[in-house]
Amino acid sequence: MQNTVLVVDDMEINREILTEILGEEYHVETAEDGRRALEMIEEKQGELAVVLLDLMMPEVDGFAVLEVMQERGWIEKIPVLIISGETSVKAERKCFDYHISDFIRKPFDNALVKKRVRNVVNLFQYQRNLEDKVQEQTKTLREQNKLLRSQADRLKKSNTNIIEILGTVVEYRDFESGEHINRVKGYTRILAQRLAENYPEYGLDQDKIDIIVSASALHDVGKIAIPDNILLKPGRLTDEEFACMKTHTSRGSEILQNIRNAWDDEYGKISYQICRHHHEKFDGRGYPDGLAGDDIPIAAQIVSIADVYDALVNERVYKDAFPKEEAFRMITEGECGKFNPKLLECFRIERQAFEDLKVSYDHLENKDNA
Amino acid sequence: MTTRECYELMGADYEDVLGRLMTEKLVKKFLYKFADARDMEELKSSLAAKDYDTAFRMAHNLKGVCANLSITRLGASSSELCEELRDGKYTDQVEPLLATVLADYEATLEAIGKLQAEEG
Repeated sequence: MQNTVLVVDDMEINREILTEILGEEYHVETAEDGRRALEMIEEKQGELAVVLLDLMMPEVDGFAVLEVMQERGWIEKIPVLIISGETSVKAERKCFDYHISDFIRKPFDNALVKKRVRNVVNLFQYQRNLEDKVQEQTKTLREQNKLLRSQADRLKKSNTNIIEILGTVVEYRDFESGEHINRVKGYTRILAQRLAENYPEYGLDQDKIDIIVSASALHDVGKIAIPDNILLKPGRLTDEEFACMKTHTSRGSEILQNIRNAWDDEYGKISYQICRHHHEKFDGRGYPDGLAGDDIPIAAQIVSIADVYDALVNERVYKDAFPKEEAFRMITEGECGKFNPKLLECFRIERQAFEDLKVSYDHLENKDNA
Repeated sequence: MTTRECYELMGADYEDVLGRLMTEKLVKKFLYKFADARDMEELKSSLAAKDYDTAFRMAHNLKGVCANLSITRLGASSSELCEELRDGKYTDQVEPLLATVLADYEATLEAIGKLQAEEG
C-alpha cells in the first residue's frame, strides 16, 4: 500500500502547511526543489501515493519535473497534483498535457486539498488494484486454457482409440481387410485435402479432415454382424445373400448409435454418416437410404470413392484385382455407380497420389511376406 | 492583542485564514515563520542586482504566502509587482510598486511583532 505523499515546494511555509494538512492521513516527505524531488521520486517510487508539485521553483521547476516523470514513465504510476499560484489557463493546460491528475490554485483551502488528495490517491489505488486483478485473472485464464487444451487432446486421443478398437474388431473378423482399412484412410485423406482446397463450400478444415480420416476406419464395422458364410463366401452372392450383406451399413450405424455416449459428438456423427452412407450413390441408387446428391454427407461420399477404389485394385474373395488404369476408368466413367462430379474431379487430379499409395502398400505387403 | 486584532491591523482577513488553516495555533505558527523568512531581503537584493528572474520569483512567492495566510493588503501589492516583473521585464512602475510592497511589508511585520511580543 502506497501511503507516502511527496510535497515539492521551494517555500518552506507552503511545505509546512501541506505537511500539517496531510500529516494525519499520510506519511509526508518534502523536497525544496525539482532536483531533490526527482531524486526522491526515484528512490521512493514504490511508496509514493501522490506527488504535490509546485510549478515555480528555482532551477529545476515543476514543468521540468513533469518532463522527466513522463520520460521515465513515472507519471503513469504516480499521480501528480499541481499546487500553484499560477493563474494562467495556459499553464494549467500545459500541466494536463503531462497527464497530471489535478490542479489546485494557491491559496488553497485546507479541507479541499485534503479531499482532492484523497480522491486522487484512491483513484490510483483502485486502478492499481484493477490492474493487479486483471493480471491475476489473465494468469488463471492462461492456466485454464492450458488445462482445457490438454483435456481436448486427451479426448481426441480417446475418440481415436475407440475408432481404432472398433476398426481392429472388423479387421479381425473380415480376413480380407488386412491393410484395407489403412489404405482407405490414406485415400480418404488425399481426397479430403483436395476437396477442401478446391471446393471450400464443403467447409472442411484440418480438424474435420482428421476426424473423417480417423472415422473412415469404421466404414465396415457393421460386417461383424454378417454371418461368416456370407461375409467370407468366395464368388458371387445370391440376391438374398447380397441383401443381407448390404445390411452391414445399417447395422454398423446401429452399433455406433448405441455407443454414442462414449465419445465426442463430432466423432460420433461423422462415424455414423460414413458407416451408414458409404454405399449411397450420387444419383440416389445406392443403399441403405437411397440418398442423392449432397444429401449424402460429404464424409460418406469421400470414403465411398476411397473404398471402391481399394476394392477394385485389390484382390477379393469374389474377384481378381483390376489394373490401376482400369480401376480409374471404371470409377470416372460411372461403372461403379455415380459419384459427385466435384469429387471425381478431385480423384482425377489425385490419380497419381492414389496409385503411389497403392504401390507403397504393395511394397509393405511384399516385405511382410518375404 | 488577539490574532484577529493582529489581522485587522495588517489589513488581512482572519476569517479566511481560519477557514483554510482551521486553528488559531496554526495561523500563528505560520505568521511567525513568515516574519522570519528572508524572502523580502532577497527580493530587494535581486532587484538591486538587476536579476529580474529571481526578483519575479521572489515577488511570486511573497504573493503566494500572503494568499495562503490571507494577508490581503500585502498580497495585493506584491501581486501587482509580480505581474510587472513577469517574463523578466522591467518597467518604470517597478520602483513605485516596490515602495508600496515594502511599506505594506513593514506594517505587516510590525503587527506580527506586536502579537508575538504580547505572547512573550
